[in-house]
Amino acid sequence: MSEWWSYSLSDLLMFSPRVYYRLFEGFNTAFWLPNLVLLACGIVFALLVWRRIGLAGRLVPGMLAIMWAWVAWGFLWRYYTPVNLAAPWMVGLFAVQVGVLIGHAVRPKDLVFAWRGDFSSFVGAGMLFAAIVVWPLAAPLSGRAWQGAELFGSAPDPTIIGTLGMILLARGTWRWTLLPVPVAWCLISSATLWVMDQDIAWVMLVVAWLSVLGGWMDQKNGVTRGRLP
Amino acid sequence: MFREMTRRAFLARLAGGVALTAFAPYAMRMAFAQNATTPDLAPATVPAVQPDPENVLRKTIPSTGGNIPAIGLGSWITFNVGNDTALRDECAAVMAAFLDEGGIMIDSSPMYGSAQDVIGYGLARLGLPKSVFSADKVWISGGDNGPGQISDSLKKWGVAQFDLLQVHNLLSWQDHLPILQRMKADGQLRYVGITTSHGRRSDDLADIMRREPLDFIQITYNPQDRMAEQQLLPLAQDRGIAVIINRPFQGGRLTEYLAGKPVPDFAADIGAQSWAQLILKFIISHPAVTCAIPATTRVNHVRENVRAAHGPMPDAALRARIAKAVAEA
Repeated sequence: MSEWWSYSLSDLLMFSPRVYYRLFEGFNTAFWLPNLVLLACGIVFALLVWRRIGLAGRLVPGMLAIMWAWVAWGFLWRYYTPVNLAAPWMVGLFAVQVGVLIGHAVRPKDLVFAWRGDFSSFVGAGMLFAAIVVWPLAAPLSGRAWQGAELFGSAPDPTIIGTLGMILLARGTWRWTLLPVPVAWCLISSATLWVMDQDIAWVMLVVAWLSVLGGWMDQKNGVTRGRLP
Repeated sequence: MFREMTRRAFLARLAGGVALTAFAPYAMRMAFAQNATTPDLAPATVPAVQPDPENVLRKTIPSTGGNIPAIGLGSWITFNVGNDTALRDECAAVMAAFLDEGGIMIDSSPMYGSAQDVIGYGLARLGLPKSVFSADKVWISGGDNGPGQISDSLKKWGVAQFDLLQVHNLLSWQDHLPILQRMKADGQLRYVGITTSHGRRSDDLADIMRREPLDFIQITYNPQDRMAEQQLLPLAQDRGIAVIINRPFQGGRLTEYLAGKPVPDFAADIGAQSWAQLILKFIISHPAVTCAIPATTRVNHVRENVRAAHGPMPDAALRARIAKAVAEA
């Protein structure tokens, strides 16, 4: 397989930006109801964090697992795979994250999702806001149709951003196990958007960097080692 | 106090989102209702000039003496539109215009995502026209996997056999070439070839051209990428191998760069009305080149491309002027 090293990143881009963005139009048009319900779950997440509801420790990872599974099957498998030969591998990556999220949803010592007022909380809340509100606006602001909006809970990028936001708003042991797959996706997505000459490509890199930085600061401050009082 | 303030701030930041999200279902339903069946498609303008397939330049395939029009149709990226019906119909319209203008060679690969399916869709819509010269590739590691992939490709195209099968980017060529030669000997294939692009592994390709009986090679060549002139094109002439040229516009970057820049006056001398036609004339006028395969999603562009094979072709001196004009534009 020595031939593979001779490919550059741009050689591997198999589709045009137009085709990529129309995937979301087709997906939203066909599955508008589940996509909007899952988007609304993002609001529920924010309320759970704000009200610091105990059930969130199981509800949030469980709902995120459903979202990741929906993105994997609904979007990646049904819409992305026909135009991207690497998409089945991405589905596998998402399946791993679904497993990790389910693990956190059912483990005896669950995570606590709450506002702490520290760096990670601000960044986490900002990411959740960006995922639910800002990212979907990218389509109409870029001159694309509204129905092509990438929505939290059904499109990969905003779902990953929102997930990372929730991870930063969480407290508890083994929280770091939730980070690798979303951070890896940030790199994959950024590379894809970059070879498509999309200005927005840098955002996913910043999201990955802030997530790792927040996680590192929490580790340093002992946030991951215990529960909130 | 800090917690109260930050909670309030947190709530404020989300308030806008809540409001927008509450409105979103209504807005999106309205949008879907209005636009679900009217996708935003770029209108294709058809030139007023009538197609003139009889006057398309045809070039000889040295191994058989047959000939094909000097402009074909590529499908990399442009035909990888997935299951989007509106875009599939656009591709079918491009294929129809291509055939209408007298083009015959359509090239694809298993590496091109859904492009093979989309070509099959287009061919079916066009009633499986017999004029099509089907050129596809085998792109998989290991010879054992080759026949299965070829069989899948045939199903996707909806054809009984391919005219040309090429080993894509030299991948496992030692395994695939004997299989393709056997298929040709058995009458399941008319021509055998091998491809590369971007000037990759030129020396390896030259070695294969010297050792193996090939009907076609496919390489990159345009006024900006002229490395093939040094070795591969002369060798192809010497060995009697037909040459297909991919990436004539550098994947669209060259024509995008030249867009809006004035076409040189001398273009009119050879009937070129655009940079695209000038570039294609530069390519297909090389004596070793058999066919160039520009890819496009636009009907007017595919017509313009095929018409580059009309009229006079540049001689060596004019070819040099074209290359200079492109470099200095």
